[in-house]
Amino acid sequence: MFFRAPGRSRGGLAGLALAVGLLCALPRLLWAQAPAPANCALLLSGRVLDHESRTALAGATVVVLETRQATQTEPDGHYHLDNLCPGTYHVQVSFVGFAPETNEVRLTAAAYRDFRLHPDAVALKGAVVSGQRVAAPATQATATLSEKDLQQTRGKTLGEALQKVNGVTALQTGPGIFKPMIHGLHSNRVTILNNGVRQEGQQWGPEHGPEIDPFLASQLTVVKGAASVRYGSDAVGGVVLVQPRPLRDSAGTGAELNLVGMSNNGLGAASGMVEGNLRRLPALSWRAQGTVRKAGTMRAPGYYLNNSGFEEGNFSGAVGWRKSTYGAEVFYSQFNTRIGILPAAHVGNQQDFLLAVSRDRPLETTGFTYDIERAYQQVRHEVLKFTGFVKTGNAGRLSTTVAQQVDARDEYDKYRPRNDNRAALDRPALSYTNRTSTAELLWEHRAWRGFTGSVGLAGTYQFNRYADGSRQFIPFYTNYVGGLFWLEQWQQGRWLLEGGLRLDRRDLQVKRATREGGVFGVEESRFQYTTPAASLGAVYDASTHLTLRLASGLTRRAPAPNERFSDGVHNAQYELGYDLVPGNGPARPETALNLGLTATLHDNPRLNGELTVYQTRIRDFLYQSPILPPVVNIRGVLASWQFQQTDATLRGLDVSGSYQLAQRWLLAGKAAVVRGRDTRQDEWLIFMPADRAELSVRYEAANRPDGHLQNSYVQVLGTGVARQTRVPRNYAERDYRLPPAGYGLLGLEAGTTVHWGRLPLELSVAGANLLNQRYRDYLNRYRYFADEMGRNLTLRLRVPLEFSHAKSTP
Amino acid sequence: MKNLLFRSAFLAMLAAAPVFSSCSDDNDDTPTPDDDNEQITTLRYELTPTTGGATLTAQYRDVDGDGGAAPLISGLTLAPNTTYTGKLVLLDETKNPAEDISAEVKEEADEHLFLFEAAGTNVTVTRTDKDKNNLEVGLDTRLQTAAANATGTTGTLKITLRHQPGTKNGTATPGDTDVEVTFPTVVR
Repeated sequence: MFFRAPGRSRGGLAGLALAVGLLCALPRLLWAQAPAPANCALLLSGRVLDHESRTALAGATVVVLETRQATQTEPDGHYHLDNLCPGTYHVQVSFVGFAPETNEVRLTAAAYRDFRLHPDAVALKGAVVSGQRVAAPATQATATLSEKDLQQTRGKTLGEALQKVNGVTALQTGPGIFKPMIHGLHSNRVTILNNGVRQEGQQWGPEHGPEIDPFLASQLTVVKGAASVRYGSDAVGGVVLVQPRPLRDSAGTGAELNLVGMSNNGLGAASGMVEGNLRRLPALSWRAQGTVRKAGTMRAPGYYLNNSGFEEGNFSGAVGWRKSTYGAEVFYSQFNTRIGILPAAHVGNQQDFLLAVSRDRPLETTGFTYDIERAYQQVRHEVLKFTGFVKTGNAGRLSTTVAQQVDARDEYDKYRPRNDNRAALDRPALSYTNRTSTAELLWEHRAWRGFTGSVGLAGTYQFNRYADGSRQFIPFYTNYVGGLFWLEQWQQGRWLLEGGLRLDRRDLQVKRATREGGVFGVEESRFQYTTPAASLGAVYDASTHLTLRLASGLTRRAPAPNERFSDGVHNAQYELGYDLVPGNGPARPETALNLGLTATLHDNPRLNGELTVYQTRIRDFLYQSPILPPVVNIRGVLASWQFQQTDATLRGLDVSGSYQLAQRWLLAGKAAVVRGRDTRQDEWLIFMPADRAELSVRYEAANRPDGHLQNSYVQVLGTGVARQTRVPRNYAERDYRLPPAGYGLLGLEAGTTVHWGRLPLELSVAGANLLNQRYRDYLNRYRYFADEMGRNLTLRLRVPLEFSHAKSTP
Repeated sequence: MKNLLFRSAFLAMLAAAPVFSSCSDDNDDTPTPDDDNEQITTLRYELTPTTGGATLTAQYRDVDGDGGAAPLISGLTLAPNTTYTGKLVLLDETKNPAEDISAEVKEEADEHLFLFEAAGTNVTVTRTDKDKNNLEVGLDTRLQTAAANATGTTGTLKITLRHQPGTKNGTATPGDTDVEVTFPTVVR
């Protein structure tokens, strides 16, 4: 399956990730250890089957995590658990040789629930799995890329991988930089939680991708729609949760190795992970992980794209201590990358510029090389995080997350300094440091009369500087944010209602260098905002196979410093913030009203799917658009952009579905449509994703017990993207180039697991753009100058290793 | 629950944790002029008729740096069939006092080459200075005009500075463009 029904919680690995999960979690479940009320006599029963063969599994363990009730299946696969109270439970089913699965079960009456387990690639892994990791507000449309889905994206950047999620596109700059866009919203409106910490990089400019190693994640969850109450006022467009696997909680040492190679740009990636849990100190777990990734020149059909290589080196480590009533974890990660910038954007005069953007291919092309020349960006991002929790007796659970992250971004111009002494120093033209400290304190109260909920305090201190002697682009600023939120959930029968409130106070102090008439000066300003947010939603289980979700949210978002004060040239692009556009006053806060309705058809034998319709109205919507005629400096003309503010309405729908054609054949499809209107000017919004659809057929071969190849599959995938025709009026005078034509791409993927001795080697090969189609995407900033990547074959290998003595799951 | 003491201590630590993320006060920092960051704000092409007379000047000037107020560009109105002695002046007026970039270019003349391209007007520019490798530079030039422009037409003179460290060979191809300015130019 290459996409998943949202809302399904992934198989619970667990342990220390509690701390992580918590951060990302809404309080719904959880540690509700209420003393049993009167009518706790409900029966949960069902069967446990092998997902592949549909045969009954005898002796499988079924555990209700919350109550610790456990049983084993009978010879016909049946299980019974009685004396359960009404409520939401996480039921974990495990069986030797199968991947354990944890599912959420909402009990109001006696229920019958079947489980189908997937054979585990690592048989006899011996991991005892408990606890859970929970994501996302229940009432929002969410999508999860599981470890299996992620396996098909290994080697790609985070933003690129997220495009697998329906309704998510990317704002792209060449082959190395992808910024996730959810339902047409991006950058300052999408919050990324990297292992529970809000990612705070220098996200100015679409050529600044999230500084995250996707190999860290064993699961990616996307909340499509506002989740501002829980995650802060800038989560208007949505949230991306990057979740590592929880730290190991069974004694022993395990490891994993991932290798990726790509034919198009010679990309090679290797990522390794080692983790362990001490037999003598079962509370102590640890993990170390590292990734290297390097790509050479990308090949568009017919030519190589100059200076399109990139390299990356990342590592992380975590140590956790966990007891049943308290726990703590320390996590550190470092991300380093260097990305080449296409020189085609560096042009001379107006005429050259017009020629450059009208060319079929860049004037200067090149041969293949791994060298990265000027211009390039060099980024380092470090995160240090501490999380901990304590159960506060019967009252609930208190947890905290404290993190500090430092983002250092150096951008080297194509041009070296003319002065040899300065050139010898090889200093970047732009050199920025952004340091952010975040802290959160969360108290989840125990379940009380169907209510579960949490109260939280969150604070951020952020400061942004550029190095002496480097060019100003974003001014010096210091930002304090303090917030208080409260979320409650109420569950009754088939209904679940959720409501939340949040209040943030933000204090932004800016020091900006000016050069009015050539005289240097510093302009200081201070802005204070109080931004409230509210949400209300409901989930209704219409039947065991149909769930309806309604979510609404009202959010106010203070404009970010880059939206207001960016000013200058980087990577041959000129950008100007709203406040600095002549004639504009200070940018006003945005007010957003979201509505989303999702219908999910799930757990059917053949047809499953999901439909989401949404509308987001944003008053004083801040967006970037080209400046025409473009700005001129002494080197010539620059592609130029400025922030503007208007009222916007975004509507759209995401539809996805899968149909089991025959026993081993799965047909799947998805489509996403966004319509963005500028309601102040009564015209379409600029830079909205074009309509897109995808269709795939997958064949999964039968697993023979004695076969050397297991879990083999083949998949054909077709992607179609239409031309964006809904653009502002007089578009030729509003952008440097009209939206590119629509395109269709063909992909093919095949994979299998080879058993090499006791080692299961997961191998796959994937071909993208097999017909070597020339195309450009409307949301890629390189589309003015160059085509997208041509044919690409990717080879992936994953090797899980287990060093401990094999012990079967109890 | 016998380690209640430990738990309480732990709880207290958690509650206090946000306080630990103390933020050293960085508020005293202030942006400083970016002196290491080279800019050319001004390019002047000064033309003096060889027969004497007033000096004509074409100028590109953008003292507030990239963006902001647009650069001011003043062009040339030249006399027909006249020879001028040309001199290029480049300045960085963001520095105080203004930095003489042309002097720097002269010092590193073996890494620099100016190109002069006229279009739509009868103007020919010849470089008259040489670097230590006997390759032309272009800080000093001779400009020769021919017949006047047809009435109502204006041409352009494009001046380009190519930075060619270690690669200068007398042609425009190697290196990067440091300056590219186009002046409206007419012979009348």
